[in-house]
Amino acid sequence: MSELSLVPLGDGAVRFPVPAEVDAAALLERLRAWPGVRDAVVTETHAAVSFDPAAPPVLEPAALLGLLDDVCRDRGRGSPREVAIKVRYGGEDLAAVAAAAGLSPGEVVALHVGRSYEVRLIGFLPGFAYLGGVDPRIVLPRRPAPRPRVPAGAVAIAGPYTGIYPMASAGGWHLIGSAVDFLPFTAEAGAELRLGDRVRFVPVGP
Amino acid sequence: MDPILEVVSVMGLATVQDAGRPGRMHEGIPPGGALVPELFGRANQAVGNPAGAPAIEWQGAITVMACEAPLVLATDEGRPWVAAVGERFTLEPSPSSAVRYLAVAGGLDVPEVLGGRGTLLVARLGGLSGRALRRGDRLSVGERPARDVIPPVARVGSPAAASTWAPEGPIRVVPGPDAERFSAASLPLLLSSCYRVSPLGDRTGTRLVGPPLGRCDADSGAPTPMVRGAIQVPAGGEPIVLGPDHPTTGGYPVIAVVLSADHGRLAARRPGAEVRFTAVTMEAAGRLAREGRAPTERS
Repeated sequence: MSELSLVPLGDGAVRFPVPAEVDAAALLERLRAWPGVRDAVVTETHAAVSFDPAAPPVLEPAALLGLLDDVCRDRGRGSPREVAIKVRYGGEDLAAVAAAAGLSPGEVVALHVGRSYEVRLIGFLPGFAYLGGVDPRIVLPRRPAPRPRVPAGAVAIAGPYTGIYPMASAGGWHLIGSAVDFLPFTAEAGAELRLGDRVRFVPVGP
Repeated sequence: MDPILEVVSVMGLATVQDAGRPGRMHEGIPPGGALVPELFGRANQAVGNPAGAPAIEWQGAITVMACEAPLVLATDEGRPWVAAVGERFTLEPSPSSAVRYLAVAGGLDVPEVLGGRGTLLVARLGGLSGRALRRGDRLSVGERPARDVIPPVARVGSPAAASTWAPEGPIRVVPGPDAERFSAASLPLLLSSCYRVSPLGDRTGTRLVGPPLGRCDADSGAPTPMVRGAIQVPAGGEPIVLGPDHPTTGGYPVIAVVLSADHGRLAARRPGAEVRFTAVTMEAAGRLAREGRAPTERS
């Protein structure tokens, strides 16, 4: 990258695009440690930092480009944390997902279990991790109308992501199971999963 | 006995709020904080509390009573009074603000959770057991600040401290960051139209009713970082201005972002109130931020 498009998000934050090769976890840590930065959020396409509008940090495009170069080189160097999460498959939408994908429910489960996923971003709800790496055969658009209430612990898929609802909320993803003995978010510890973690799902009986 | 503030009755949403939970957006935890920082700050200042002390934010009407020991109370009107044990005070909604604040000298003594004491309803944490206040709740009160704020009798009823803060008038925005995802007519339409506050809003965002803004892409679905004040435009075209408990990421494009100094001015507007926007440059926004912010707005 030779130029960086640094755009304001109001007077208290700026946003810039991040290249796909970046080590998102390393980028997040470096941005959070930047003097004057109060909050940093890194998604698959962008990063944003928030600050006190009366005392904005010095964020020169050249310095940020250098930082992005550093964290692109870092990618793949660290060993990500591996997390295994037990799932009781059989959510409300499993049959509909199977029908839409032209598969049996058992095949959908096998495809969901058979991958290792990466935490690509955290957002939407406290502790909600977007896990990338879903098998293309079960990539589906969100439900046309969100459900008013998805229960906490629901394991769901939408587009290229899978995830676990950390708390009951409205939601438009397809529900295919529920997590067992895993809380994505607690008031004591905050979010359980972090950017870059690798997640595997382990099926358990009914 | 330790002093207690009892909620005798409550109509509408009332929660404990403070200066927020900065530094945890990467965990999906929104910044939180008072909907109207200026009024929250005024109530705390009136009872001699530090700027971010936990206080009650309420929408409708609330009746409170001091238990065990007298309390010094103040609302956003800025006039402290002594509440004798057992005496009930019914606090009405304000014609000029959608939410009001009640501070008690010493602050509400609720536990710190993940760096803040305010209520985050979606995660059921903070405040009183992570929930809205209801009839019969008993809130512990912290130690009274050293400064004696109880005014001499003669000063009771004197006007609140002069303030230039007023919710009326245009809301200032910095255009962007997703200009390319809107039709060319959208930003001029946003800046020339009159929107109204929808009754459907809450602490996650203020929904506006008015001319829909045209977008030139479908929902890409790729989430990007969000901030308080971001004006998101869903497919229907009617804008949503994100509030203190906003999702930390979102997939809708953002046409402009409200200046920090105007977050409270927007959040104070009641359903049906007019909202007009005016654009400022980043340079002007930075100057305003350095010059114009009251200390109570800092978190």
